[in-house]
Amino acid sequence: MAHTLKAFGIMLATAALAAVIGLAPTTVLAEKPPIKIGFIHTMSGPISMYGITSAAGAKIAVDEINAAGGVLGRKLELIVRDDKINPEAGLREAKDLVLKEKVDFLAGTISSGVALAISGYANRAKKIYMINIAQSTRITEEKFNKYTFRFTTNGTPYFGKGPAIALAKTYKSKKIISLGYDYEAGKNALKEFKDTYLKMVPDAKIIDELWVPLGSTDFTAYIAKMANSGADAFYLSAIYGGGELAFTKQAWSFGLYDKMKAVQPCAGDVETWSKVKQGDPYPKNALATCRYPFWAIKGEQNAKFVKQLREMTGLWPSYGSMDAYVIVYAIKDAVTKAGTTDTQKVIKALETLKMNTFVGPVEMRAYDHQAMMPTWYGIMRFTPDLPFPHITDVGVLGAESYHTVEQIKKVRGK
Amino acid sequence: MTGAGMNRISLLGTSPRNGTMLLGVMIVMVALPYLLGQSWLSITTEMLILALSASALNIMLGYTGMVSFGPAGMYAVGAYTTGVLMEKMGWGMLPATLAAPVMAGLVGALVGWFCVRRSAVYFALLTLAFSQIIWTVVFQWYSVTGGDDGLVSVPVPDFFFEITNCYYFMLAVVSVCLFIIWKIVNSPFGMTLQAIRENPNRVEFIGVNVKRYQLASFVISSVFLGIAGSMFCVFSGSAFPDYAYWVKSADMLVICLLGGIYNFFGPLVGTVVYTVLTKVISGYTMHWHLVLGGIIVLIILAMRKGVVGTLANYWANRKSAAA
Amino acid sequence: MTFESFAGQALAGVSLGMVWFLIAAGLSIIFGTLKVLNLAHGSLYMLGSFCCYQVTVSLAGVPGNFWLAVLVAPLVVALVGGIIEVFLLRPIYKAEMIYQYILTFALVLIIAEACKMIWGTGYHSVKVPWPFQGSVAMFGLSFPIYNLFLIAMGPLVFIALRTLINKTNLGRNIRAVTENREMANALGTNVPQVYTGVFMLGAWLAGLAGSLWPPVSVVMLGSDMAVVIDCFIIVVIGGLGSLAGAFVGALILGLTTAFGLYLIPKLAVAFGFILMIIILIIRPYGLMGEPE
Repeated sequence: MAHTLKAFGIMLATAALAAVIGLAPTTVLAEKPPIKIGFIHTMSGPISMYGITSAAGAKIAVDEINAAGGVLGRKLELIVRDDKINPEAGLREAKDLVLKEKVDFLAGTISSGVALAISGYANRAKKIYMINIAQSTRITEEKFNKYTFRFTTNGTPYFGKGPAIALAKTYKSKKIISLGYDYEAGKNALKEFKDTYLKMVPDAKIIDELWVPLGSTDFTAYIAKMANSGADAFYLSAIYGGGELAFTKQAWSFGLYDKMKAVQPCAGDVETWSKVKQGDPYPKNALATCRYPFWAIKGEQNAKFVKQLREMTGLWPSYGSMDAYVIVYAIKDAVTKAGTTDTQKVIKALETLKMNTFVGPVEMRAYDHQAMMPTWYGIMRFTPDLPFPHITDVGVLGAESYHTVEQIKKVRGK
Repeated sequence: MTGAGMNRISLLGTSPRNGTMLLGVMIVMVALPYLLGQSWLSITTEMLILALSASALNIMLGYTGMVSFGPAGMYAVGAYTTGVLMEKMGWGMLPATLAAPVMAGLVGALVGWFCVRRSAVYFALLTLAFSQIIWTVVFQWYSVTGGDDGLVSVPVPDFFFEITNCYYFMLAVVSVCLFIIWKIVNSPFGMTLQAIRENPNRVEFIGVNVKRYQLASFVISSVFLGIAGSMFCVFSGSAFPDYAYWVKSADMLVICLLGGIYNFFGPLVGTVVYTVLTKVISGYTMHWHLVLGGIIVLIILAMRKGVVGTLANYWANRKSAAA
Repeated sequence: MTFESFAGQALAGVSLGMVWFLIAAGLSIIFGTLKVLNLAHGSLYMLGSFCCYQVTVSLAGVPGNFWLAVLVAPLVVALVGGIIEVFLLRPIYKAEMIYQYILTFALVLIIAEACKMIWGTGYHSVKVPWPFQGSVAMFGLSFPIYNLFLIAMGPLVFIALRTLINKTNLGRNIRAVTENREMANALGTNVPQVYTGVFMLGAWLAGLAGSLWPPVSVVMLGSDMAVVIDCFIIVVIGGLGSLAGAFVGALILGLTTAFGLYLIPKLAVAFGFILMIIILIIRPYGLMGEPE
């Protein structure tokens, strides 16, 4: 008998404890409640610098707006969570943010997989979700839902049209060999690039397509094949971060950058190269796209943002930080325009959003909820301005580098 | 592994006081939505599904003595069967969730037939290899499984999106499944499995086809893992390749060990302990992996029978000391 | 495919294979003697790479700092291995395999988190050391000399290990304990000491691999997971406990990776597992292992 009572008692105590935790009251406010933004990002692991700088960029915007009186008299509150690059974990955080923290907006994510998962959830939970890094076109095309908005370049300008236009304007290479990570982003990137480039330079050919398991850091055998292929240029398909660093190191040691031209879209990412110095292997003369070349943007506001971000994180600004900043201001603009945080009204306000940001004017395209963020491209070099390699001779692409509404209609099967 | 293992399992068997305990637990579980906030309720729902997975694994692990490194593979088969049928082929939820254990059972039979050819470490490595192949297939077969993007918009009826509804549904499904598992492992068939765990040679000697029983155990385990995966797909409206990865298998093994593998309630308690631990620790520190790893090490070194096993042992000793 | 590109391809595959061999060799002898499936072996490798990076940074500017790192880092990893074996594994040798498997899994979590806490989450780089910088023209390729060095290291370490096992007292003790633990114990061999020695040797090998690979790659978190499953495949194919098997298995996997580019890339990822299954079913003790 004693055993039963003891066990029963333990069960009840556990349940009671759980109840107390679950029902913990939120602080009672004397003033108007804050507008809560649930920010889910990768805050741990090898690509956490994107998450950290993104959160910092959002925070800078939140502080600025709050200092100027908030939005509709309410303060903005940022709640940051870690998705661990895992869709399951990201979903769990999204649920917690919506169910327990009762956020008004969801934002964030690097991984397109996590973004897709959260986007699906946001649709069912009827919460606005604003993306600042995840680039898969699938999110706004096939898997479009009216609650998801993207405030960053997507894969089309970043991996596809951008490098294709850049290559057509510069080297016009005819025999291209591609190397990519074997996952959706990699496959799509190459497809986008091929579609655009082969139309612009009709006598060009992709002579071979090589695929590496996702996350691999050894490319030696592939580089050997590329070097022997007779190509005059190579294209890297969605190889980024540590893998890209390893590739560049290995390709450098094989003299690949001297042997042929390089189209390496992700090389424009500051995060990857920020520790690389003169004399280290780097993507020499490679054509790259960049989502926020802070050194090439004029204006005091930009300079101020760069300075603040460096002070806050000790890191160079990523495009994630700029996009997160833009997202917070977009929330301010849309909520102010709608006069409320009511989701349906804010969606309407966001769909017709036109902003002046410190990287130029940004307009939201209502059909796919893709903000027409600019994409920059250039040639990777070292200059005296910065200690790390970056794009130079910078050009910029706008709305023309995204899929047209007609193209998206086809994809959605309409 | 000695005869004590068998005693331990029958200890928490059919005595009446345990019936009262169970009733108490059921009352609490049914009342939970009125006690917990939505977020915790969502976590509890996940726990129910995880508890089913662990119990399914334990049919092989604790009862038959077959260490599998690849339960996640069957779990993923269940999840993706339901997900693909609903999202890509437009099936309704009922047929899609019924198809999951069937598919998992079939795959389990095929994989299991190969795996039981070998024993001990080679068996384990075979299960690992097969589950990694399942992972590879899921990861690569974009047109069907969504590849590394996974399935993210499985059209689960809106009724289940409401967390309280989902919770009661899962509670019902998991309770029924656990009851069936209980019946199986306490039947003569289940006793044979335990005998095989203790001494396969002797059992073979008395004329039992050990391999056939092991295969049966494998298949039954796969069926319930498939149900668990399918339920998780319904709960989250999604399925990801991670569901098949060896790390997920290791998590399930950890849960069983935490609770105690020689006991029906071990995996259940292990699930609660593991979930609460990870939630609480990750709330306190960013370095929760370190703490979790440390706790696992401690459990293995100091409390190898797991929480339930150690408690059961303690009570048994108290009883015999008092006698 | 010309002979030249074939040879270039093969060389590239082999240089990766040799590093895999170093890791797999450690995993294999640990299983062969201690009967432990060390999931944390990839973590030891990663720890080695971080230690190597740390030494090169702490001794920046010191000539030959890389070679000092190659000397020091594996020793550090071996020490860590010794601590793991004595305090964590020894108490549970008598328990079933699952406990050891899960304990080593816990170590994966712990070591990865420890590396993150000490070295942060960024990428780190180690330069290609003198005298192996630059490349040499071979088979129509400009082949990096350091990769040739790696290719040479494989057989070198293999021969050194073979000599250790076959020709020294320690090696004799290892072989005795591997064949029959009870008998060796009865004959006076200090079995626990041999066990510790073997685990430390395995860890040392993982640390060595972790120190030799960074100049051609990146030191980063996640490299533990990336390598551990491949090494399991190699060890199973070659034979759990067989050094020669690890060598052969590593070569096979390295070459199939290299030539998989020409065959069916989609299947390439699953190929290792399929091979693993075939071996386990037909010849579970591996290509070069011996039935017990």
